[in-house]
Amino acid sequence: MEPVESQVESELTSTKVSAESGVVASRVSDRKSHAQVGTEKNPPPTAPPPRLDDYINIVGAAEIDELRTLAREVKGKTVKMVNSTALGGGVAEMLNQQVPLLNELEVKTDWDVISGGSDFFEVTKAFHNALQGGDYKLTQQARDVFLSYNQQNSERIHFTEDVVVIHDPQPAALIRSRQNQSGKWVWRCHIDLSKPNAEVWQFLRQFVEKYDASIFSAQSFTQQLPITQYLFYPCIDPLSEKNKKLDDSFIQKVCDEFGIDRSRPIVTQVSRFDRAKDPVGVVQAFKKARKFADCQLVLAGGGASDDPEGATVLKEVEEAANGDRDIIILDLPPWSALEINALQRASTVIVQKSLQEGFGLTVTEALWKEKPTIAGAVGGIPNQVIHKLTGMLAHSVDECAEQMRHLLTNPDFAKQLGKNGCEHVKENFLITTDLRRWLLLVQILLGER
Amino acid sequence: MTAALAAAHSRVAAAPFYFNTSASLLRITQYKANNPSELLDGLQNCPDDSIFQHSIRTLQEHHFIREGFTNDFAHWAASGCNEPMLAEALAEIDVREFTKLAEIRGRFVDAVRRFLDRAPETGERPALTVFHFCASDIVVIPTTFVAHDLREFADGVRGVTVHSLHHHFIEARLRLNLRSNDFSEWLEDLGMKEAADELNRIDIYSATLEDVREQILRIVDRSLI
Repeated sequence: MEPVESQVESELTSTKVSAESGVVASRVSDRKSHAQVGTEKNPPPTAPPPRLDDYINIVGAAEIDELRTLAREVKGKTVKMVNSTALGGGVAEMLNQQVPLLNELEVKTDWDVISGGSDFFEVTKAFHNALQGGDYKLTQQARDVFLSYNQQNSERIHFTEDVVVIHDPQPAALIRSRQNQSGKWVWRCHIDLSKPNAEVWQFLRQFVEKYDASIFSAQSFTQQLPITQYLFYPCIDPLSEKNKKLDDSFIQKVCDEFGIDRSRPIVTQVSRFDRAKDPVGVVQAFKKARKFADCQLVLAGGGASDDPEGATVLKEVEEAANGDRDIIILDLPPWSALEINALQRASTVIVQKSLQEGFGLTVTEALWKEKPTIAGAVGGIPNQVIHKLTGMLAHSVDECAEQMRHLLTNPDFAKQLGKNGCEHVKENFLITTDLRRWLLLVQILLGER
Repeated sequence: MTAALAAAHSRVAAAPFYFNTSASLLRITQYKANNPSELLDGLQNCPDDSIFQHSIRTLQEHHFIREGFTNDFAHWAASGCNEPMLAEALAEIDVREFTKLAEIRGRFVDAVRRFLDRAPETGERPALTVFHFCASDIVVIPTTFVAHDLREFADGVRGVTVHSLHHHFIEARLRLNLRSNDFSEWLEDLGMKEAADELNRIDIYSATLEDVREQILRIVDRSLI
């Protein structure tokens, strides 16, 4: 049984690597060079987190002033965030961004990571999948493991803050240590609970109901609960490597490296090779659309080298592409944020033809870059893509093809969609909006108004 | 410049205009609709702040859309239910005509009821997406902008966020229980009834909030010449 702290340490160690970086993948057809890339290149070091003033050029000084005014109302209040991992995954990424900004605003925010053995994380991984609809038989042993590690953590972590935010199911039972303490407790659920395994949800629900409030990422991800349910959309950081502005010379370099012709329209889908993202459907739609509008297709994904299912899906995509030189398939390593940014910025149209989706942050990224976007109407995507206003929703291959063709041949309409999409992100899905929500939450929960 | 305008220009307001803004936290309520009949149920029973959220607050969340967006119910009827007639009937409802949420709710309920009377077969037809009734907890916060005269007022309009514009120009109607807004009320107190009326006629549905800002400034700047 390996304690999670040592897992985290090992993860941390594994990311302390050289600063060497660069374009890190090639066309999948060049399998040999891809394999070499995966082993020889290392992720770049992480930059220090931005400060609030760094966002003034993006959202305006008045917006940042509003955040400071909101923060003054809760100055000195304390918040504790608790989750299950310090590195990797969207929750840790979000906390790495938000915690420093809340502290800069003098809302003292601590971040604790629960510890547990491999047996705990096996159980919570199974819970995670079951809560998102997977089959699972909940055993007494699994319950005991879950509760025992939560109990151990509740003895280790002190909860003296004004607001305690517990992220996701893994630490949900920490609420049992709330006795005799006055702080407000919030459960932040980052996963889709719309079709949970009934047994696991019933088990978890008994803890969730004890919180003062809950937070979900989309309306469709919720369950009926007796406590208030707030809606916090996931967000992107416009200053991160994946979203910051890039020099055109870098975009050109990435395109050259991957054999993408920027003089012709480019349709791109960025997502791992997973059937839920329907990459084969994208190839089919592209082939239909290209009969009427010249274009290339870029499928930029990852996960094929370390996930057997990903490798199978990649093979299916290659078969569907059938050697077409206008279909460029890229299997990128996980630290390719700059390259993905460049590919998105080089694109004429971006597609996210998911059949199942979480919130769909790749859609948010595309909209932020003012790209006309076609996306499946699943998960959190309809929150972002307002059909014909901020993007296009597609329910089938034919519809996706028709929309590709429409956007490629109606550049004025496509441009307006892109502009609206960017404004939609600026208003609702940026890190500054998320910060506003956290400040409001603290204020509302503590009755400071 | 008319005598009234000249007087207004040089006059210091009896009461300064304090630019506030508002921030909101969305709540997901227990009400949802899978088809037009359930939309009617929801409209009849949801809390007032859901009506406010989906008809008024949503204009702030989508402040950048120039045409084609009026309220969340109409948008869902079009994109979620594929019922253009219902969408059109709901989109026709202009929140500026009302000073009470109960009246707005009544108009939405009437529109759906009339549609279902004419097309009862559509009532139970499943929508492509579920409509979740939300509501918002709103907090009003001050800004640093205060206007004692018209020039400072223009500076304020120029400097505040679109959230502040929405707060004073759109949400104010229900707060004041008047078919007016905070800006027009203040201009009227300053003796600028014509400018106040002109400002009140700015179309919030065919303009983005940035367009609204420009139009307000054009009216105010004209008075400053």
